[in-house]
Amino acid sequence: MMDPKFLFTDLAQIQAQTRRHFLGWGAGGLGAFFLNDAMRTEAQAAAVQKLNFTRDPATPLSTLPPPFRARAKRVIYLHMGGAPSQLDLFDYKPTLARFHGHDCPQSFLKGKRFAFISGIPKLLGPQFPFHQAGQSGTWISDRMPHLQGKLDEICMVKSMKTDQFNHAPAQLLVHTGDPRTGHASLGSWVTYGLGSENQNLPGFIVLVSSGGITANAGKPLWGSGFLPSVYQGVQCRSAGEPVLYLDNPKDVSRAQRREVLDAVDEINRQTHRQFGNPETVARIAQYEMAFRMQLEASDAMDIRREPAATLARYGAEPGKTSYANNCLVARRLAERGVRFIQLYHWGWDSHGTPTDEGVNVGMVNRCRETDRPTAALLSDLKARGLLEDTLVVWGGEFGRTPMWENRGGQEMAFIGRDHHPSAFTIWMAGGGVKAGLVHGQTDDMGYEIVQDPVEVRDLHATMLYLLGFDHHALNYPYQGLDQKLTGVKPARVIPQLLA
Amino acid sequence: MAGRVSVLAYAGGVLLLTIGAIGAAMLLRPGFAASVRQVTGLEPVRAAAADSFYAVRVAPLFDQHCTGCHGERSAKGQLRLDSFAAAWRGGRHGDVLGADGELYRRITLPPSDIKAMPPDGKQPLSRDELTVIRLWLAGGARGDVPASAVKNAPELVLPVTFPSFDPQAVARQRARLAGDVVRLQARFPGMIAYESQASDGIEVSAILAGKRFGDAELQAFAPLASRIVRLDLSGTAITDAAPLARMTAVIRMRLADTALTGNIVPALESLPKLKVLTVTGSAIPAQALDGLRRKGVTVHGGGDGA
Repeated sequence: MMDPKFLFTDLAQIQAQTRRHFLGWGAGGLGAFFLNDAMRTEAQAAAVQKLNFTRDPATPLSTLPPPFRARAKRVIYLHMGGAPSQLDLFDYKPTLARFHGHDCPQSFLKGKRFAFISGIPKLLGPQFPFHQAGQSGTWISDRMPHLQGKLDEICMVKSMKTDQFNHAPAQLLVHTGDPRTGHASLGSWVTYGLGSENQNLPGFIVLVSSGGITANAGKPLWGSGFLPSVYQGVQCRSAGEPVLYLDNPKDVSRAQRREVLDAVDEINRQTHRQFGNPETVARIAQYEMAFRMQLEASDAMDIRREPAATLARYGAEPGKTSYANNCLVARRLAERGVRFIQLYHWGWDSHGTPTDEGVNVGMVNRCRETDRPTAALLSDLKARGLLEDTLVVWGGEFGRTPMWENRGGQEMAFIGRDHHPSAFTIWMAGGGVKAGLVHGQTDDMGYEIVQDPVEVRDLHATMLYLLGFDHHALNYPYQGLDQKLTGVKPARVIPQLLA
Repeated sequence: MAGRVSVLAYAGGVLLLTIGAIGAAMLLRPGFAASVRQVTGLEPVRAAAADSFYAVRVAPLFDQHCTGCHGERSAKGQLRLDSFAAAWRGGRHGDVLGADGELYRRITLPPSDIKAMPPDGKQPLSRDELTVIRLWLAGGARGDVPASAVKNAPELVLPVTFPSFDPQAVARQRARLAGDVVRLQARFPGMIAYESQASDGIEVSAILAGKRFGDAELQAFAPLASRIVRLDLSGTAITDAAPLARMTAVIRMRLADTALTGNIVPALESLPKLKVLTVTGSAIPAQALDGLRRKGVTVHGGGDGA
């Protein structure tokens, strides 16, 4: 006679094996027949070293050494959502200034698509005075007076290009390597590849400032896509509780919480024994991390523990949500071994329609909000010996046009520029990049790249190289392909950017 | 008229036709013309020396960007750039070299120009690559000027490659200390890792242990001392008695926010491979670090202790 409890589990297992499972296995099996050969030849052709990323599912964030010696151990990515105007900050074009107010030449418009510009727009010269600074003599406008003192630390790329001219897809391309949702973000890839040093904090932390607006593409920007969900970014707040609902409810003690977790873990373990879905183990691991984070996260995020002089250097004010606070938190997280720290500061979309989208108003405010804390972060990392192995990246999702936007053929109320995918500027610092370098060049109007174009996938390949990876080898099997951050088009590490 | 041609006239006719054919071929095919000139001794046979600026710097650029279409298999515009002599022969319209010649003009056109080289959205030459070609052309496109003699050439930037490594060979390198590594990893979870999958160098970070980590704990790492390349003891309770002088392989060391004083400096100075040192927030006075700086060590901090 069969034990009724056994019968019950068997039944549950059979019921759980739905038609979807059957089809899934069947198709997988058939596919494997064909793929087996195809993959073998592909592997031989590419001769990429196969890496092993398997870990104990209970400790999915445990560290794995990179395949090659890394120059950078962690990343702080400062994303300027909305796309800052390179022509008013870094890419100085005196010729464009000379033609300010002239009709845009037809050759600029032929065969081009713009997000908003129509008809014949006027050319728009640089809106702020530029000067050279640092040993490197790099050009910069007067809107970034603090960053100006850091030009010899940074490696500027003036020849970035993308193939997306709307915010959401362009942001997705910059952060996940693909303009569509569903792909794994940069931070997810890096924590998947390397794990994280601190098991009491997430390996990939996201900090958002400026009015709660994240970015057009939303949370997929820090999603794990096809990677296990434990590698997705965890959004933390720099004011109040760092993670919502992390604290125990009133009248619940830590011991009681432990008991609840033990019970939940047991149920999850039973489910895992039944169905074997690794996501269940990931869920257990995440509950456990949340429990440990109750102690660690509040300490890491609490900038009140910083001396007043440090707060002043960043312009940070405890209790507020600001980019300055987030920069200071980023340094504290970097010290605590968090692998990937992603900041988002929205509001650079300077079309010239409302005030806050004016190059002459909104963008000036964005510069004021970000210039001091960004420079303070670089100084602080350097003084604490962390800049050396922390890769800092600053940039938006595309550039802005050298033409004054004329939405619907109308002159805009404020000074504005349209989206421009053909050329934009980003910079990096620390982590093995060549300090004081300017790479790439645009034409005299700042319209097209004339020297050393760098694709987004080239930037990704270079970042992964600095972290100790061959971008071909950091991959994950999904939909019959070894998925990569850099995708299927050829990507190259830019050797000129390396120290 | 009865056609009777003398032998002499016939031979003359053939000769004229032959010369005409050769002449026409020389006009239409500059490469052929050059060969003819070389065979007849009118033009020297050109070759570049192995250590020449052309061979070391220019030829690799031609190979990378040009010879797919201007080489042995395909010679578009009758131009070949797969050898020094071929480059000198030029293309359908003759010489392409020269400081303001066709070659330099075409590779510097904006990529959108229909005549730009390389065409069809292929990766254009970088600024430094263009400089290399410009310097070569300006110097007379010679094959005998040694690479070392061109002083103002941009630094040679080699493309990044990813050497494959043999995991078994790495395992053999690590074998002697593997037992100690595993034992210490169990005792100090998350603190010890190999610097890469291809290396037996070890990285140690005690920063997350904080004040629970002191001299006694560091003592336990003695068996690995000669393999530790990166050491972070920031925020720990180590003192001037810490056995840092044993860390003979260390390249990067962080000792920020510790109670260390100037007394630790002789130990640090004895480390032969130390390149980067951070002592921010320690009690080590700034001037005590001068010796290390003179040795070429990059030092962050110093003199910030109370």
